[in-house]
Amino acid sequence: MSTQVPIGPPGVMGGFSLLDHYGRHVDDLTYRGSYVLMFFGFTHCKVICPRNLAKLSKVLDRLESFAERVCALYVTVDPARDTPEIMRAYLEKQSYTRFTGLTGAPKNIRDVLSSFRVYSRRRDDEDGGYQMPHSAFTYLFDPRGRFVEHWPAAMEADEIYLRLTRLLED
Amino acid sequence: MDRRSETAGLDRFQSGHLRHFDNLSRRLPNDWSLMKGRSFGQDDFGAYRFQLAYMLYALALTHLHRLPAAPGFFKPVYGRLFEKLLLPEVWTYWHDSSRGGSIFNQHLAHSYKEEWDPVVRDNIMFSAYVQSLSLLFNYLFADDRFAKPGSLRFKFWSYFWGGEPKVFAYDQNSLNEHIYWLMVQSGYVGVACEPNCVFQICNQPAILGFRLHDLLTGGSRAEEVTKGYELAWREFGRLGDDGHYNMMVSEDTKAVRPNVGKSPWVDAWCGALMNMWNRDFVRLHYPSQIRELVVEGADGALSVRVRPRPEVMGERVVTDDCDFGWVAVWASEMGDASTLNGLLRHADRFMNPTWLDRGLYYPRNDQTEDAFGNRTLMEPHTGNTLLGYARLNVPDGLWRLFNEPLDIGFFKNPALIRVAENVDVQRAVFIDDTLHFRLASQDGERGDGNITVGRLVDRSSWVLDCDGHEIACGNGGKVTTSPSDASVAAEADGVSVRCPSLGVHDFEMTFT
Repeated sequence: MSTQVPIGPPGVMGGFSLLDHYGRHVDDLTYRGSYVLMFFGFTHCKVICPRNLAKLSKVLDRLESFAERVCALYVTVDPARDTPEIMRAYLEKQSYTRFTGLTGAPKNIRDVLSSFRVYSRRRDDEDGGYQMPHSAFTYLFDPRGRFVEHWPAAMEADEIYLRLTRLLED
Repeated sequence: MDRRSETAGLDRFQSGHLRHFDNLSRRLPNDWSLMKGRSFGQDDFGAYRFQLAYMLYALALTHLHRLPAAPGFFKPVYGRLFEKLLLPEVWTYWHDSSRGGSIFNQHLAHSYKEEWDPVVRDNIMFSAYVQSLSLLFNYLFADDRFAKPGSLRFKFWSYFWGGEPKVFAYDQNSLNEHIYWLMVQSGYVGVACEPNCVFQICNQPAILGFRLHDLLTGGSRAEEVTKGYELAWREFGRLGDDGHYNMMVSEDTKAVRPNVGKSPWVDAWCGALMNMWNRDFVRLHYPSQIRELVVEGADGALSVRVRPRPEVMGERVVTDDCDFGWVAVWASEMGDASTLNGLLRHADRFMNPTWLDRGLYYPRNDQTEDAFGNRTLMEPHTGNTLLGYARLNVPDGLWRLFNEPLDIGFFKNPALIRVAENVDVQRAVFIDDTLHFRLASQDGERGDGNITVGRLVDRSSWVLDCDGHEIACGNGGKVTTSPSDASVAAEADGVSVRCPSLGVHDFEMTFT
């Protein structure tokens, strides 16, 4: 009898168990039924996060009614500073209100970073603060929670809009 | 060198290296004769995996640039060498190396566990070769056998120890995907070789793999990764303060290990590979770097300047660094003919070039210098592989593989689709409706002396000349006029031609 051998390790697994920016427990099952956009970062980020959150927000605005079928999640790589309250305040202040912030205990964040194959590490500043350089991908999951694709930060808003509309119109 | 001269034909030394690769490829499984280096096991830079991988790259470059119309020679040799890359003897060093404890990361040894899967964690010094070379097979030969799920299978089982079989199954796409995500998780700095040690050199083959996957599937991973790599290494610097390539960075401390000893192999291996995607940078620094690595001998001969290695933990380090071979490879990629020819002159004078079964190699010699101070050290990787690679490569050979996608003619034009074992192919190119091929065969060896010209279905009438004399005519795959000795005959998928047994013979098959 031949034994079934699994083919390689999985790429992006996509599971998580975190808190949303209202402090409620959420996991990947919470968002089933919608397309899910996920972007990882931290609220002290000076360049990458503002640029990408702004870009993705504009794309979601352009989607108009289609946007109702998309949940946009912003997951912190810096749980020490990014509490639910801080994330909610940041997203509201910067007008990234289409996004829900997700955070959690350090171990849960480590697990989600590993599950999504996200790079991040702490780099201390000279003034006593620190930065968290991180991957700048946007991940897309379908309504059944299956990983569809990921987009690098350099992908233009028009291209993202086209890809999303193609999916949402099907 | 203009490109037409590259396909004008191999000289006998180049042909000899190819035959040696073929001879090694035909060794029975686990017969590694002539390939074992000086140190224990398969840990160092002369290990079987490197010899196999760079023979395969050399075959690819030769097929691509010099003998494009000879897939019937290259594909079987490539296939046999690649299969050896999957043998346990090649990769089972990893269950020890994966536990850490090298001189770079002893402090971390307690945190690593034994890992049998040779590609799942770290070990880019093996995984990237399997990834890039399986994709390269698909790319060069339009054969997707390694794309089938589970077709790359690492299996180990011993009657004597270890219990149940260990089987790890991948394919060219799943392995490429896995390495890509490891690269992403590293922030594009790269994937480690030994635990915690990210070498610049060993991540270059993975980049080639991403590019080949892009060429096969239409993606843009290579562009993404090289951009990320540039940014990530900006923090460390690709070069050290002395202008030589930084060797590695430690994952835990982010400490860079520069090439303080100016070891030729570090610069040469990195430079030769990095040229494929970062040519301007590599070429900018090459002249000053190479000047410090070579020493002049008599009559234009050149050798390499190797400083003694310091003792580590009170022990003398014995590894096959292959300085001489790597500098020759680098010079070939840079198109630096004077350096390459100088090194080859030294090798042919002092390093015992040897012909065995029509193959050319330089046998292992552990003596560093002769009585007159001439470098004589010869590691199997240099003698079997790297000097052959250097002789067979063309300027920017890797760069062209990376940057110039194959045109359709590479797969459609008439070509030698089968080559008997006792036939050497010294030329094979299709130019201006003519297939030019040069053959030499040996009686008394395995093989019937035949080659088959295929891809004739869409072709009309042709005339076949041998050494300037017309010997046969045909139409497509049919032979209408043939010699009385039946040395030209129709086959199911082409026309077979028997090579006369003595000497070297030039054939031209002209299509009208």
